[in-house]
Amino acid sequence: MELLKENWIFAEVDLNKVNPITYQLITKMNQISNLPVTVVLIESTSENLEDEIKEYGPDKIIIIKNDQLAQGNDLEMTNALDTLIEKTGRPNSFVFAATVVGRSLAPRLQARLRTGLTADCLDLHFEDDNTLIQTKPSYGDNIMCEIVVPNHRPQMATVRSNVFEAKKLNNPMLKVINITNLKVISDRQLTISSKTLPQENAESINDAKRIVAVGRGDKTEENLTNAKRLADKLHAVIGVTRPLTDLEEFNINDQIGQSGQSVSPDILINLGISGAVQYTAGISNAKTIVSANTDKDAPIFEYSDYYFVGNAEEFSKALEKVLQ
Amino acid sequence: MKIVVGIKQVPETTNVKINEKTKNIDRRGINGVINQYDRHALEAAFEIKAKTNAEVIVMTMGPDDFVVSLQEALALGADSAVLLSDRAFAGADTLATGYVLSKAIQKINDVDLVILGQQSVDADTGQMGPIVAEFLDISQVTYASKIDIADGALHIKRYLETVEQDITAKLPLLLTVTDQANDPKYVNVVEITKSFEKPVITWHATDLNLDDDRVGQAGSPSIVRSISSPKAVAKDNHKLADNPQDAADELVKILKEKNILMEDK
Ligand SMILES: Cc1cc2nc3c(=O)[nH]c(=O)nc-3n(C[C@H](O)[C@H](O)[C@H](O)COP(=O)(O)OP(=O)(O)OC[C@H]3O[C@@H](n4cnc5c(N)ncnc54)[C@H](O)[C@@H]3O)c2cc1C
Ligand SMILES: Cc1cc2nc3c(=O)[nH]c(=O)nc-3n(C[C@H](O)[C@H](O)[C@H](O)COP(=O)(O)OP(=O)(O)OC[C@H]3O[C@@H](n4cnc5c(N)ncnc54)[C@H](O)[C@@H]3O)c2cc1C
Repeated sequence: MELLKENWIFAEVDLNKVNPITYQLITKMNQISNLPVTVVLIESTSENLEDEIKEYGPDKIIIIKNDQLAQGNDLEMTNALDTLIEKTGRPNSFVFAATVVGRSLAPRLQARLRTGLTADCLDLHFEDDNTLIQTKPSYGDNIMCEIVVPNHRPQMATVRSNVFEAKKLNNPMLKVINITNLKVISDRQLTISSKTLPQENAESINDAKRIVAVGRGDKTEENLTNAKRLADKLHAVIGVTRPLTDLEEFNINDQIGQSGQSVSPDILINLGISGAVQYTAGISNAKTIVSANTDKDAPIFEYSDYYFVGNAEEFSKALEKVLQ
Repeated sequence: MKIVVGIKQVPETTNVKINEKTKNIDRRGINGVINQYDRHALEAAFEIKAKTNAEVIVMTMGPDDFVVSLQEALALGADSAVLLSDRAFAGADTLATGYVLSKAIQKINDVDLVILGQQSVDADTGQMGPIVAEFLDISQVTYASKIDIADGALHIKRYLETVEQDITAKLPLLLTVTDQANDPKYVNVVEITKSFEKPVITWHATDLNLDDDRVGQAGSPSIVRSISSPKAVAKDNHKLADNPQDAADELVKILKEKNILMEDK
């Protein structure tokens, strides 16, 4: 099989929207790659998402415009990417977002191509030009591993959101390639109907610059009202630990942590959160962390720049007052 | 209808440390248990069994002591168990593991539904489902959060980051399940005793008609080059004043000095 001297990124599109991780991956790849950086984009015929992707400076965008594929399931997308790779040759590496979509599609393609895949990477770099060194957590983020795929191509990885920063970049060398005649092999086993979840928060916690996070130690209705008032004052977004997703008003989009969202705010205020590893897995990119907890030995304090030992509600009220 | 549920035995706690001498994960004194997500996979199979009278076969690839977990799965309600155990399987990455599992599922023949957990809690990859589906050449639905069966088709709810999906899936199918899918039962003593009458079959490499260079280390493209403890980001760990008001004053002053909390936008 022919090898292609390029590093590829799969553009994740969730119902007409490019997932921002795509831009983060482009910026990171541009920083570490000596080979051209190519984005593979599957979109419907009415979309032009390449216009947004361009702004982050990839060397090439391969566009597959196809209405059926844009709604495709994992098997149909695998078929399409496999067919594409048969045409172009195998890229040196192929990275995906570690989202539900990426974590479902990438391993299926991995099996089709019989190559190696590393899940959920937190860091990537190249050694000897083209060997991708992939750093991933395991044991619920208690251990870090470095994984390599020495003899197979592409070297595949999924990468967590918000571990790299996206930066706009003008690349005058950009090439855009439209693949028009790709044969779609459909999967008639599945009928899927998708709808966008109602966005309760105006701003999602993924992109929020300021977050007030609420845990089980601060979960009464009154606590929550106070936390929300503090968040309003700070122009912050509310995030929660997993136990609070039992409440009607919160879901997985508000939950911070391993099985929720990774966040990277400038400031994160933790109210009544113990600091379980599954929670702290999601906050390693928060710049400044402040925590309030009644337990002087709460593990969350180790992750905090500033901490208050005491009642979270009193602390949050006091803070609100100072910010008047 | 035949359902195969794949389970993995994992350390009872993921709170492991690295042994400074061997540079390996220190598992001394840590027992093996059924991967938590796989309890949900089993429960999903049992719920379908209750409606359709399906046969549930539980399967694991691993060393002989994984039989403990198979026994527990039998006690929970599986009809039979398959242990895939062979020296040749050692050192397998997800690709090589998925290959062996798929060959064993093919050997069982006429399997309508394969159910796995969304991921293991030790290696955490979540790759097994799509790999096995690909090698079996069947459709997949990963991260199922609600599963129902009616008229021979599965009805599934699945959540992407910002999207909710309702899926109708015909069989055969491979499914991976989240911990939102159901509430797993626990075993009672009577069931454990009865479970010893149920069959546990062991298959070795020679039973499975395998391509030698696709199993174990030889069949594994990826190599774990090193392991380490995560670098804790150095944090100031500055304790604020004991009184909430003083603490708040102190904090806001520091944040403003450091330009972290600039005058509001
Ligand atoms: C596979 C798996 C995945 C998971 N994924 C996630 C995830 O993504 N996100 C997540 O958050 N969790 C996740 N969890 C759950 C996680 O293990 C913890 O159970 C959870 O993070 C605990 O939430 P908490 O800190 O709000 O509650 P608790 O651990 O109950 O902590 C409450 C804290 O509040 C303090 N407190 C009590 N009263 C007050 C008061 N008046 N003022 C101040 N402090 C007070 C207590 O001292 C305590 O430290 C996961 C678990 C598993 C098994
Ligand atoms: C620290 C560490 C890091 C690793 N990282 C990678 C990596 O990045 N890439 C890679 O290819 N391999 C990796 N491996 C190897 C990988 O763990 C093994 O191949 C393992 O057998 C299956 O992968 P998993 O545990 O990630 O399963 P997952 O894909 O996370 O498991 C999903 C589901 O598959 C089923 N399942 C998993 N294992 C078995 C089994 N043995 N028998 C029956 N059913 C099973 C269960 O239902 C489980 O819930 C790593 C191993 C370790 C110890």
